[in-house]
Amino acid sequence: MLNGLEYLGQAYLSFLNPTSLLYGLGGALMGILVGCMPGLSATLCIALLTTLTIKLPTNDAILILICSYVGTLYGGSRSAILLNIPGTAANAASCADGHALALRGEAGRAIGIATSGAFCGTLFGVLCLAAFTPTLAEVALSFGAFEFFWLALFGVTMSGSLVGNDPLKGWLMGCLGLFVAQIGQEGLYAYDRFTFGIHELSGGIALIPALVGAFGFAEVLTVLADPVERKLVELKDSVLPRFREVAQYWRTVLRSGAIGVLTGLLPGVGEDSGAWMSYAAAKATTKEREKFGKGSIDGLMAAETGDMSSIPGHIIPALALGIPGSAPSAVLLAAMILHGVQPGPMLMVEHPQFVYHVVAMTTLATISILIFGLFLVRPLLLVLRIRRTVLMPIIFLLATVGAYATQSRLFDVYCMLAIGIGAFFLRRKGYPMAPFVLGLVLGGLLDKSLRRGLVLSDGSILPFFTRPICAVLATVTIFTMLLYIPAFNRLVKAVVGNVGRAVRSVVPSRG
Amino acid sequence: MSTPPPISDIGQPPPPHGHDAPQSPRADFIAAVLWIVFGAAVAVASWRMDRLENQDINPYTVPGLLPGLLGVAVVFFGVLMLVRAWRAGGLANEGPAGGARGMSAGELKRFGLIVGLCLLFGVVLIGHGLPFWAAAAIYVTATIATLQYPQRKADGQRLRGLALALVIGLCAGILITLVFQEIFLVRLP
Repeated sequence: MLNGLEYLGQAYLSFLNPTSLLYGLGGALMGILVGCMPGLSATLCIALLTTLTIKLPTNDAILILICSYVGTLYGGSRSAILLNIPGTAANAASCADGHALALRGEAGRAIGIATSGAFCGTLFGVLCLAAFTPTLAEVALSFGAFEFFWLALFGVTMSGSLVGNDPLKGWLMGCLGLFVAQIGQEGLYAYDRFTFGIHELSGGIALIPALVGAFGFAEVLTVLADPVERKLVELKDSVLPRFREVAQYWRTVLRSGAIGVLTGLLPGVGEDSGAWMSYAAAKATTKEREKFGKGSIDGLMAAETGDMSSIPGHIIPALALGIPGSAPSAVLLAAMILHGVQPGPMLMVEHPQFVYHVVAMTTLATISILIFGLFLVRPLLLVLRIRRTVLMPIIFLLATVGAYATQSRLFDVYCMLAIGIGAFFLRRKGYPMAPFVLGLVLGGLLDKSLRRGLVLSDGSILPFFTRPICAVLATVTIFTMLLYIPAFNRLVKAVVGNVGRAVRSVVPSRG
Repeated sequence: MSTPPPISDIGQPPPPHGHDAPQSPRADFIAAVLWIVFGAAVAVASWRMDRLENQDINPYTVPGLLPGLLGVAVVFFGVLMLVRAWRAGGLANEGPAGGARGMSAGELKRFGLIVGLCLLFGVVLIGHGLPFWAAAAIYVTATIATLQYPQRKADGQRLRGLALALVIGLCAGILITLVFQEIFLVRLP
């Protein structure tokens, strides 16, 4: 406990120098600019900045990436409010109330509420990050191959179930990602799988080019293929953060913060789930339900607090278990590995101070977005006026550089192009990309854990189901998938309904 | 320039885009068949994969184990999707089938043009001796000039549009080269 506080103090002090502050502010600014532009995601921003910062010292590079992660999600609310197009998927819940406020001439107020919600949400998440990561990492030290097998499978299944509208398509994309991760030399015997004699494939499909293709090039194609330009709502009123409204809606802020962190802890569930669940919870408990969707302050505050607090929530499992909570945190995890830090249970043993550095970095990111929210809202909105036909070709250039830079191989550029074109068509057919990314990241872990587990159990699959943590993860994973079967879903709903009625009949009502 | 959304749209979620867009049962039916073929191919290739018996490895660690299971899972999910699409009328000769969802001929032409330009840059222009800044300038100029051509033509600003595209292309190429190569020491193709 005292060691933790000492590490935390040292971490904060280590970032109190002009260079780190400049990197932090620069990363957040870059993130906000990318987030403002509809379609450009946090995943793309972090992937591109990973290549740009590859030669920097570890802490500086990760600081820039975390600040850009927070900045992108914060910036995404601008286009949601002013254009009714979410800057990132996580800001979709802000569209309804944010844009309705903007159309009423209160765009500045909406941005101010988004800023205060984002600041409070991220700060709440940072506290949870500092409190829970070391504890979770300590618990994870007892995990073996069996537990990691289920954790990886659980992450891909949950992502497939909750991202997008069709779990079946999500699971198929998860399987595709897991399969693509099997291409190349496998980890135990260096045997080439599915390389078809192409020696460049022996190293596998690299994560950064695949992500840049799936999230960058595919988005460039999507945006440029759509000829319609959206009209920007003008800003007329003050954009200063509304902390009076935070005090007024403190219950919403706390509830949404907790929901955001909890959804963040679930492997593979994106930031948008945190926003939508917080929004739904606020709608269920508010006294002004009729205002929801028509410019509700409560609704906008809930959505923004929920999505921002899920960022530190997603970083917790990435650091403690090596299992990313979302697609952007998957890239962050890959960047940490590139810089020689291996996230996972051993992190608290090998680099105990690193977790506290990440806490300090996220705090700096939170302060950065507040600074930009206070002083630079109007100049930053100029980026929304750049025409897509000018912006997107430049984004494609950056995507190409991003794909090439990590290993200096043209093959990675070709992979990025192929994956991008494939992702464009898959997205138009309703297939979500996040399960694919999770599959790609967790494929290696799943493969090693399955085979090591089978060796340890001498071929028996019983330990995969009988060890306590495995039993819980297996039950949740299988239950989630079974819910997709209509008959099972009806049965569960009937059982839950009957139990609810029975409880209500036993417990006397207060009214 | 589009008009603002009608007042009845206020408070509604943004229009369907990407994975939110509804899909036709026929498109799902065809996709399901493709998934089944893909999954079966992966399962067969995994089954036929070398089991490294000559290295006397533990039989539970054969390289094709997980890929094989994934192939079976894809076939299983593909069959589920096939049944669902079939029950929703996927065999009826209605609705869009292959290709991108609901793309008109004009959109397909625009899409083909964009992909062609991107492939020109990624496959032909870079990595074959041309400096990155020059390749980038050519690509950006060509893309902006091509995509803005109908609008510029209607406004009678063809030459101005081309000049502007050239300036943006050169600036982008030189700036990206400077920032990545000279400041952050990242190698460019």
